[in-house]
Amino acid sequence: MKKIFKMALPAAALMAVTAIAVPVKADTLANMERERALLIETLLDGEITPAERQVRIEAAQRRLLDLERMVLRDDKLVGRNTPQVRRAFANYDLTFLVHASAEKNRAIGDTWLSQLGISTQSLMSAKQGRR
Amino acid sequence: MNIKRYLFIGPSLALALAMTAPNTALAKAADLPSWRPVASEKLIKLPANYLKKSLDHDFAQSPLSGAIQDADSEIGLKGQTLEDLASAIQQADGELAVELRHQFLAQKREFITLMKRKADLRQRHMLTKQRTLEKLLKKLGREKGAMTPARVQLVSQQEKARSRFQGSLAKVDLTVLSAPTVPESRYAQEYAGNMSAVEALVAAISSHPMNVRAQMAGQPATKADFIRQMLADTQAGVAILEQEQNIIGYMAKLVALDAMALSESVMDAELGDSDLPSVSSPASAVKYFVN
Repeated sequence: MKKIFKMALPAAALMAVTAIAVPVKADTLANMERERALLIETLLDGEITPAERQVRIEAAQRRLLDLERMVLRDDKLVGRNTPQVRRAFANYDLTFLVHASAEKNRAIGDTWLSQLGISTQSLMSAKQGRR
Repeated sequence: MNIKRYLFIGPSLALALAMTAPNTALAKAADLPSWRPVASEKLIKLPANYLKKSLDHDFAQSPLSGAIQDADSEIGLKGQTLEDLASAIQQADGELAVELRHQFLAQKREFITLMKRKADLRQRHMLTKQRTLEKLLKKLGREKGAMTPARVQLVSQQEKARSRFQGSLAKVDLTVLSAPTVPESRYAQEYAGNMSAVEALVAAISSHPMNVRAQMAGQPATKADFIRQMLADTQAGVAILEQEQNIIGYMAKLVALDAMALSESVMDAELGDSDLPSVSSPASAVKYFVN
């Protein structure tokens, strides 16, 4: 009996570990993308004043900073070969806007626009016309 | 008495032939007790060292293991009987010696049947173990095979992103969180606190004796290496078992030949004592015709 208990205990312990290790499902990438979309919406919003935009961007930046870190540290995303994950990691500067901007000492809006290929020079040289 | 001896030769020969036939064990496989291990995901996730113990423990609990143990003890008892009979034959003579030799052969035949049964059970064990290990290896391979070029590229990008993030972490903190109006978030505070606890636990896990990586020939081995080694050992066991079955076959042939020899010696003795007239040639009868 004692022997059986000795043998069964490690198996039960391992099963318990497996059961405990099942994480709470939280899609960090979806949360980050939602916050990033809101930040970009704020950047492009023509209805708000520059001061208001600045306040909103700062608030969003703090939230996004944490969300970006959650995505970068999320082991569940490693090797998860879905279109969303592939797209997110294909361009660090575009996905992790706050980190990329802080790393380069640039404003978030500048980083985003430059990643899309829009610069002050390209805007200044643009001509108005019909497509 | 004679009839019994004559009849004995037939089954002995049949047994000898059965022992030499290679696939009779498979035909009777359905009658044997079984062991049904499952190559589950849980088994794959076990540490390499524990995998073998887990399989051995699972086998020890199976009816097949019990049957092998029973066969072992029966063989032990039968071996003792054979020893007793062998010493009794040396001290006996005449009819009793013939009767004891006959008993000795019958017991040998039963001994071989038991040995054959044990060999069949062991073969079943080995083949089941081999199949399980092959399935485990296949599952492990499938996990590795899932690393398509696209996935490999993704993992590489993720590694680069992480290393870039780690490299810029201090600078980002300084830039974003340096403003006095920006308090550190709850996530950042708790993450830092938890991180030290996580590091302590990771250190404890890596130094835990049960987490020591399996080694082969002094070199650290992967789980696949370990399973392949177990598979090779099992295949070696199967090969040895086949050789042992050949030995049992030869033993059976020898018993059959002994039975024929015993039968023939008894027949010779009986023919010697019989009242059969001796065959006389015409030449020896000439004296009756010549006066």
